[in-house]
Amino acid sequence: MGMIRFIFDGGREMFSGSRDYWLWLLALAAVIAWGAFRYYEQLTNGLVVTGMSDQVSWGFYIANFAFLVGIAAAAVLLVIPAYIFHRQDIKDVVLVGEGMAVAAVMMAIMFVVVDLGRPDRLWHMIPFIGRFNWPTSLLAWDVVVLSGYFVLNLLIPFYLLYNRYRGKESNFRLYFPFVVLAMFWAISIHTVTAFLFSANPARPFWHTALLGPRFIASAFASGPALIILTLQVIKKVANYEVSRSVIDTLALIMTIAMQINLFFVGAELFTDFYNEGTHAASIHYLFLGLDGYNSLQPWIWFALSLNVIALVILMINPLRANIRYLNIACVLAFVGIWIEKGMGLVIPGFVPTPLGEIFEYVPTSVELSVAAGIWAFGVLVFTLLAKAVIAIEQGKLRHPAGQQSYSS
Amino acid sequence: MSDDREIKDAPNKFDKARRNFLRGISVGAAASLAQPAWGGQTFSDAFADFFQNHYQKMSADEIDAALERIERKAQIRYGVDINCENTPPQENVVFGYAINISRCQGYRDCVQACVKENNLGRDSQVQYIRVLEMDQGVTNLEHSEHYYDPAEVPVEGKYYLPVQCMQCDDPPCVKACPVEATWMEPDGIVVVDYDWCIGCRYCMTACPYWARHFNWTEPEIPAEELNTDTHYLGNRPRPRGVVEKCHFCIQRTRKGRQPACMEACPTGARIFGNLLDPDSEIRYVLANKQVFRLKEDLGTEPKFWYFSD
Amino acid sequence: MAAARLTPGTACEAVLCLLLALCYASVGAQDTATDSGALRFEGYPDAPAFEVVSRKSDLFFYPCDQCHESMEPNPEIRALDTMHDAEIDHGRGRIWCLSCHALEDRNYLTTLLNEPVDFDDSYLVCGGCHANRHKDWTFGAHGKRVANWQGPRSLYSCTHCHNPHSPAIGPRAPKPPPPVRAGLELQRGADHAADAEDDATEEHADNE
Repeated sequence: MGMIRFIFDGGREMFSGSRDYWLWLLALAAVIAWGAFRYYEQLTNGLVVTGMSDQVSWGFYIANFAFLVGIAAAAVLLVIPAYIFHRQDIKDVVLVGEGMAVAAVMMAIMFVVVDLGRPDRLWHMIPFIGRFNWPTSLLAWDVVVLSGYFVLNLLIPFYLLYNRYRGKESNFRLYFPFVVLAMFWAISIHTVTAFLFSANPARPFWHTALLGPRFIASAFASGPALIILTLQVIKKVANYEVSRSVIDTLALIMTIAMQINLFFVGAELFTDFYNEGTHAASIHYLFLGLDGYNSLQPWIWFALSLNVIALVILMINPLRANIRYLNIACVLAFVGIWIEKGMGLVIPGFVPTPLGEIFEYVPTSVELSVAAGIWAFGVLVFTLLAKAVIAIEQGKLRHPAGQQSYSS
Repeated sequence: MSDDREIKDAPNKFDKARRNFLRGISVGAAASLAQPAWGGQTFSDAFADFFQNHYQKMSADEIDAALERIERKAQIRYGVDINCENTPPQENVVFGYAINISRCQGYRDCVQACVKENNLGRDSQVQYIRVLEMDQGVTNLEHSEHYYDPAEVPVEGKYYLPVQCMQCDDPPCVKACPVEATWMEPDGIVVVDYDWCIGCRYCMTACPYWARHFNWTEPEIPAEELNTDTHYLGNRPRPRGVVEKCHFCIQRTRKGRQPACMEACPTGARIFGNLLDPDSEIRYVLANKQVFRLKEDLGTEPKFWYFSD
Repeated sequence: MAAARLTPGTACEAVLCLLLALCYASVGAQDTATDSGALRFEGYPDAPAFEVVSRKSDLFFYPCDQCHESMEPNPEIRALDTMHDAEIDHGRGRIWCLSCHALEDRNYLTTLLNEPVDFDDSYLVCGGCHANRHKDWTFGAHGKRVANWQGPRSLYSCTHCHNPHSPAIGPRAPKPPPPVRAGLELQRGADHAADAEDDATEEHADNE
């Protein structure tokens, strides 16, 4: 059957390559193994091996989760120009972006699973077999939208690549509705994740209508950063043609998104500090420290500086046009938003606690190791997917029967 | 020929041998099912535990079986025989609680009584009740002191505010839970099915009163201090990785007894009873005292009041 | 009033006298139960029923007439220097022993109206001055109920918690502060409280 052949051929493509390619895979596998080893430690001893507490009950894992959902959503920034505006240059790389979305969603889901106290009870979430609190629970919504996004970003490229593999033309009218669905779905995954936080009046730091828009803006500033860097790597390593116009378009989107993101940060700072009440305690803790506790303060100012510098570079046209400066801006923006939206978002929601206690949080080596393992896993998934995608797009991977179509 | 005979007999012999072999295996399997394996638990218990259904979907028999498994687990873990029950809610009862903050002296007797009554892990260090030391005239919880430890209480110029689960009538934690492991029972108590909770801790995020706590590690209880009168939704020994909280001592209150914190309080600052009974003490307090609730503006409708007189 | 003539003035006087007499008579008619001529406290009729935990078994010297039967009652207000050693830290000098203890029969307490009160009903004595507390206690907003919230209602008497000769409850040591999660440490732990106190003293110094 053609589809089995396709999967096998794709799999073989993923696991064949140069020595450097294999070294890369092995390095990733080593980090994954290390993460898995430390996760086993967490499974046997319980979450007590992390730095979380009743006071700060979500930490590094959920911080990465929130950030990665944004990265996953940013794939839509390639999907829209490719399929709605029919930009051929972007169409050439859109499947790479969707591969990134798949990897990012997988990472996000893995971060939630490693954060669970009882991962052995995951089946409790299955509708009808377990008890799924949908539509009331925002976490239930998040499970639905993330699973759906994962499926969409696998199915659509699968369909397109399968046809390309067989040398067939894809049916636009068949896949285009799913593409449109994926676009809206991308916005929804990040909005639902934002609502997960903003739905809690118990946590004034998150309980703002602005959180959803902030999430989208920061996603669209950090996602393209990663895509720009990754496409250049692919161009170099796989000899895959990535036209400059793609980079320029993404850089422009990133610029505007970062402007909006920083504007939102400014709006939050003004609203909370102009007439400062108790509800501003968390943001006060984050930016200025509270009662002498200020472990996050250097981080947030560092992140803010990175974002501002990135924005300055992006806003100066000659600099944005210069690939080296653009890459610097991408790295700065990615790291800056990872800090601001990860730890800088999740931890202050818990400090102070609803009863006014200040208790700080520091991730332990277990958390850092497991997180590294998950990131490595995501990079591995992306590497494998990209390898197969590029081979098919470049025409290197074809069904042996050539132009003949097979019934599957 | 002898070979033929052997060949003719062979299937019978083989069948017999095979039957014996299989019988031996099944006996061995049955024996191994009953052998302690999974952390001391029998395999069949571990299997049944894993597939145990949600409390509200279990039949009476299934709940009885679950109660027995809990008792067996406690025997394995602590070497103590406990009694785990499933006392249903009483009709026409909704519980309410009030604390007289003029009477509370900050002793924390309630905290300790709760720890003992509810089999709270000494090492996992969960305490359902937290007493806040506040400055006289200040209600801002940001200025509360949780770890006060003076030589004597009450300290001059301070008052004391014990906080525990408010058993809200519109509980944000219940909405948050993705697997419906927490819900409000007919008598108003917000309960947790500890065997259903997946430990995502979203409910802890949602609670405005910091009332929900997590078992980051296996709860350690000295066997001689284990309270053996337990309830499935209450103080039965809990596993690691699940959320728990004050449940108004469901194992006591459904049988007409006071919660342990109330019984322990030497100043009589705590008043508990049936909100649906117009002659109850709690109703008298609500009608005749200047009561208030914490964070009322959040709309959670706590069933826990404070007053002073 | 000899040789009075019936004028409107005297007629009014007479009517007034008659009315007053009727008033006194009616009041007198109601009050056939006691000698004091006043209303008796009947408790709070709409309070939920209760019984009170007995105190007599906890009273070391009870019954008091073991000694007092042979002693001459002395109503003179004075400080006692007997074996009772009862220093009265109650009311700041506004009451003394016989404000609550019956003069003639030491096995009883007394109300403000000199009604004898059994030691197990001592709350009736306290309630004579502390009426609001007494009402709260009767209805359950003060004091302590034994064991159950439901069913038979048994209340601890006032003197279970309050020493009647020194009722104020003094401070005592609290139980230990809450722990933090296993494996973590309290940040600035005890120092935090000390810091707060330091801040407070600094502020005091500044204010002065």
